[in-house]
Amino acid sequence: MKLDAKSLDTRGSGVPFKFYTAYYVSTYSRRRAWTLRELLDGIKTADKNTLFHHMFHTIRAKHLLPPMYTNDFARWVGEEVGDEELAASLSDVSGAEPATIEDIRQELVSILEPVADERRGRSEFVFVGMEPVVVETKYVAYTLADFLDLIEMVPGESIIYHFVTRRILEGVSRNDFSIWLEKNFGLTEVANALSRIAPLMYNSEEALREAILTTLKRWLL
Amino acid sequence: MIEKYIQFVGEEEIDAIVKLAERLQDLSILHVNSTVAGGGVAEILHRMVPLMRELGLRVDWKVIKGDPEFFAVTKTFHNALQTGVGEVPKHYYEIYEKWQEINANELDLDYDVVFIHDPQPAGLVKHRRRGIWIWRCHIDLSTPHPEVWGFLRRYVSQYHAAIFHIPDFARDDLEIPQLLIPPSIDPLSPKNMEISATAVERVVKKFGVDPERPILLQVSRFDRAKDPVGVIEAYRLARRHVPDLQLVYLGSPAHDDPEGEVVYREAVEAAGGDPDIHLLMLPPDSHYEVNAFQRAATVVMQKSLREGFGLTVSEALWKKKPVVGGKAGGIKIQVIHGVTGFLATSPRTAAHYTVFLLREKKIREEMGTAGREHVRRNFLITHQLRRYLMAVAYIAKRHKA
Repeated sequence: MKLDAKSLDTRGSGVPFKFYTAYYVSTYSRRRAWTLRELLDGIKTADKNTLFHHMFHTIRAKHLLPPMYTNDFARWVGEEVGDEELAASLSDVSGAEPATIEDIRQELVSILEPVADERRGRSEFVFVGMEPVVVETKYVAYTLADFLDLIEMVPGESIIYHFVTRRILEGVSRNDFSIWLEKNFGLTEVANALSRIAPLMYNSEEALREAILTTLKRWLL
Repeated sequence: MIEKYIQFVGEEEIDAIVKLAERLQDLSILHVNSTVAGGGVAEILHRMVPLMRELGLRVDWKVIKGDPEFFAVTKTFHNALQTGVGEVPKHYYEIYEKWQEINANELDLDYDVVFIHDPQPAGLVKHRRRGIWIWRCHIDLSTPHPEVWGFLRRYVSQYHAAIFHIPDFARDDLEIPQLLIPPSIDPLSPKNMEISATAVERVVKKFGVDPERPILLQVSRFDRAKDPVGVIEAYRLARRHVPDLQLVYLGSPAHDDPEGEVVYREAVEAAGGDPDIHLLMLPPDSHYEVNAFQRAATVVMQKSLREGFGLTVSEALWKKKPVVGGKAGGIKIQVIHGVTGFLATSPRTAAHYTVFLLREKKIREEMGTAGREHVRRNFLITHQLRRYLMAVAYIAKRHKA
């Protein structure tokens, strides 16, 4: 269902969307791996913040890593252990909705378990966690029009926080944008379209923002 | 002052810093280290503390005192912790503890949050009465001297958290939370600020270096960990392909480091009178000259065998110079192989990548641009400031909005 331009100014059921942003404290997880078996053990036992970091930090534009692999596990296996086939499988883990961090862990384990042996990396894999420090922004959307405009303007970290971090780390079932659009406006189709965006397909906040904006415009304009 | 950094990191980053600082306004914060001048820790505190105060935070900085005997002890500890070897007489531990007690009696440590920098004042925690205490480690603790680390660990374990530069330096034998915060450069400092091309040319010529010919530069102490002889070897191998190449090795005289003199002499011998090898000894405060040489360089090398963080890499990247670095310490997170430079494991591979960069001007420029962007996103003083504020918020359990 497409909306007409006027309906963008409605406030739905009246709940505004308040944008927060998050920066991340890096923490050492006291786990290291030299072999594939140790990598598997680490993935099995690491806390959710650690898995989150190694799976999703590449979406944040803090790095200039070549986007050959979507996550750190795949990169280590590909570049340090030299098993391209296995690296490709690990890189294929999507992390899209409705996957939870435990789903992601299970998928990684199911790929690694049959092949994890004593093959070593040229350097060790160090497990690092990331803990969000949440900061309020000045941006609040009351209407769909506000929302559309602000998606283009809010800090990139804010997009990641609402679209990925909250869902994965705080156990919210969906991204915040879809939840708001559905609950406040009954826009189930738009919400579902956003939910289909796979965050690991993007190598920066801006690329993810662009995908979200394009989807929203397709439905709302 | 803080708004001057908007041009580098954008308004959002500064807004976030202001917001985080607002959350910590009621806390008194103290930094303690062992020297008011000289060394990277003092350098960063000189710039960080005023910025924190400008944000409305109640921040003080205090320096411990000690006699030459105490500093001889802490220097021995420092070397033993970084290299894993060394003779440490038993009475050194008593001297260390004696000065911790003297300083604890003389310094007011009654703050809500206390950052203790490096091993020299780490033992002050024994005298803690209140507040959150954070040990900020600036050195490589990956393979420490077991006995010295065992001694220090008893103190470090009493902190609420420790902060290391990179995960490689964090410890499996510490139960306390370990946070990772890389150090930073200040784009407005004399070492990194923009200077004119004329100034660059003038400084380089002053030291007998030809700005018209390619320059390979390493800025480091004369320390075996920085591999000056390996740098000269790499230069020689590279020069076979680039005959007009010059090498500048820029160091400072180390009056308090007898080994520095020995290593310098080794480098002079290795240079063998080659007029295109410039082994320069500049005073430690020659920031402007370092800035000029980094801008004049064609390729920068940091061929360390062991390294704490190696901020000279970020300094060079900030000036859009690709870096050929050793695969050691913090160099590994600054030099992204094939993106901001290359990681080399020997003089031969260092020479190989140097020649490649000297030959490929376009790639050199692309890597230089990527290098500056990498530093802009990660290693500027505002990032470190934000990360310190986040660390306090996290440890004080104020990290949720």
